Amino acid sequence: MKQLYYDVKKCLGCKSCEIACAVAHSLTGDLFKAFKEEVLSLPRKKVLASKDKNYPVSCRHCKDPVCVDACMAAALVYDKEKGMVLHDDKRCVGCWMCVMVCPYGAIRPNIKTKLPLRCDKCKDKDEPSCVKACPTGAIIWQEELSLKV
Amino acid sequence: MKQYVIIGNSAAGISAAEAIRKNDVAAKILIFSDEDYPAYCRCLISYYLAGDVKEEKILYRPEDFYRENNIELFLNKKVARIDPKKSRITLEDKTQVSYDTLLIATGASPKLPETKGIKKRGVFGLRTIKDAKEISGLLPITKAACVLGGGLVGLKAAYALKKRNVGVKVVIKSRQVLSQMLDSEAAGFVQKRLEENGIEFILGEDVAEIIGNGDIKAIKLGSGKAFETSLVVVGKGVTPNMDPIKETEIKFNEGIITNNLLQANIANIYAAGDCAESFDLTLGGLCVNALWPVAVEQGRVAGANIAGGNLNYAGSLGMNSIEFFGLPAVSLGIYKVKDGEAGFEELKLHDTKANLYKKIILKDNFAVGAILVGDIKNSGVLLRLIRERIEVSSFKDKLLRENFGYPDIMALVKDKEHLYV
Ligand SMILES: Cc1cc2nc3c(=O)[nH]c(=O)nc-3n(C[C@H](O)[C@H](O)[C@H](O)COP(=O)(O)OP(=O)(O)OC[C@H]3O[C@@H](n4cnc5c(N)ncnc54)[C@H](O)[C@@H]3O)c2cc1C
Ligand code: SF4
Ligand code: SF4
Repeated sequence: MKQLYYDVKKCLGCKSCEIACAVAHSLTGDLFKAFKEEVLSLPRKKVLASKDKNYPVSCRHCKDPVCVDACMAAALVYDKEKGMVLHDDKRCVGCWMCVMVCPYGAIRPNIKTKLPLRCDKCKDKDEPSCVKACPTGAIIWQEELSLKV
Repeated sequence: MKQYVIIGNSAAGISAAEAIRKNDVAAKILIFSDEDYPAYCRCLISYYLAGDVKEEKILYRPEDFYRENNIELFLNKKVARIDPKKSRITLEDKTQVSYDTLLIATGASPKLPETKGIKKRGVFGLRTIKDAKEISGLLPITKAACVLGGGLVGLKAAYALKKRNVGVKVVIKSRQVLSQMLDSEAAGFVQKRLEENGIEFILGEDVAEIIGNGDIKAIKLGSGKAFETSLVVVGKGVTPNMDPIKETEIKFNEGIITNNLLQANIANIYAAGDCAESFDLTLGGLCVNALWPVAVEQGRVAGANIAGGNLNYAGSLGMNSIEFFGLPAVSLGIYKVKDGEAGFEELKLHDTKANLYKKIILKDNFAVGAILVGDIKNSGVLLRLIRERIEVSSFKDKLLRENFGYPDIMALVKDKEHLYV
């Protein structure tokens, strides 16, 4: 299973990944057109600064996802084969139980759409859009086990 | 081959059944429910009543769930009694079923006050899909409805009724809405938002009588005032379903008393969900936290232990998340310092114009609770501070800030960080 890793030393906090994420999840998929869409596409990733370092924060697709336990609409499910937490927009009621429990703050409410914002690893593309967008190569997309010691 | 019996086919029962099956592929699993519906998302019945969610979307598991997992489901079968000495249950129809291990996941039922007229036709609790359907059936002929109680379920019912174009008055004994999860400041924001959307509140009043012969005509308040209504929804909290255990040696206070394995005082009986008392992390003692996520987690732990595991249940804490008309609010742990209680510190931010309110309660530099209104995005990180008892002094000044987040607590959490290299 591929996972997103971050070389924090390289992250400048420029938020190019946030913008790329918002564009990738917009209707048009185009930066300039995306700004004009009726419902503004928001990033599923947030770069947070802490003690002069920057940390891109997004959903980790936990193996024991507490958000799935908390989802009272069964809109969030863990797909074992894909190794991903999937979200069914049509079932979601926007109750934000998932937001309340995510230990990483990696799922955020979009009050306008009433749907949570959460990384889907750009499921239709061969790699997440944030990876390409990072000018310093701070975002690493690679198989999970190799980095875990 | 073991035979496991589960009473209750909802959050706790289902997650327990899944956990048992994960650990034991051969065992017989029997689930009994006194409802006539396969497992559904109970918390969604108000959304169903409002017309926001269709009936198909309310099922909690796919149709073939029971077959796929080789679970025998008995609907419309009420368990009348448990006989721990003989390890068997007796159904209302006198059938007896024996078990090797039993899980009690009977949940809870709405508390009905002893108000005069409370048994009249047209007075409902809102707990089951059946309740929601019955209420729904009356709405075309209902002009004005009344909700008793300003808790979560009461407000959700009021929202649903309003959404269906019925006039709603909510009568609340205390001086604020959601007194079980918000302080009065936070409650003010929520109440205002609901009022702006046409829901009326009568605070600090109790109902003296529900008036009408046969059908309901009016509500009379303690102050003597009365108003017309033909439908009453009671949302005054819930009480654990203890009927089948009342005459047994199973110990209970409000709910069944469990240990850290979620086992009752009898070795082959476990309890989980709204019917169980377990360790509360912020109160430091046993209590019922009647919440969906808690029921799911407890079910999973109990199920694993029933199947021979030895999982420790760390404990639960009171928490909730709501959203009405675009205003989200989250409450975690201790949300209000009682008058005169010393040793607490409150960090607070109140911005009426921006509809923003944040309060974090600390004790000796440990977070013990919080309320967030308007901006709830990092509530899970705060929850983690409370759960894992993380000392906050090194980042205290940042707790209320917009950019507070997981990176600030990363070095202090239990699980070692491995994504940031
Ligand atoms: C309208 C509404 C909104 C809610 N909103 C929220 C929310 O926003 N957040 C939140 O955390 N929680 C919410 N809840 C609470 C949540 O639904 C419960 O905490 C949860 O359902 C508890 O699950 P449980 O499995 O313990 O019990 P229950 O869901 O109560 O299920 C109990 C099961 O036991 C069966 N049963 C009981 N007695 C017997 C018997 N004698 N014989 C056979 N079967 C029996 C019942 O038929 C049922 O299947 C809400 C509840 C309601 C009604
Ligand atoms: S939303 Fe949070 S809890 Fe859920 S899988 Fe992602 S990181 Fe884990
Ligand atoms: S907001 Fe949607 S995904 Fe999150 S818990 Fe509620 S229903 Fe589930």
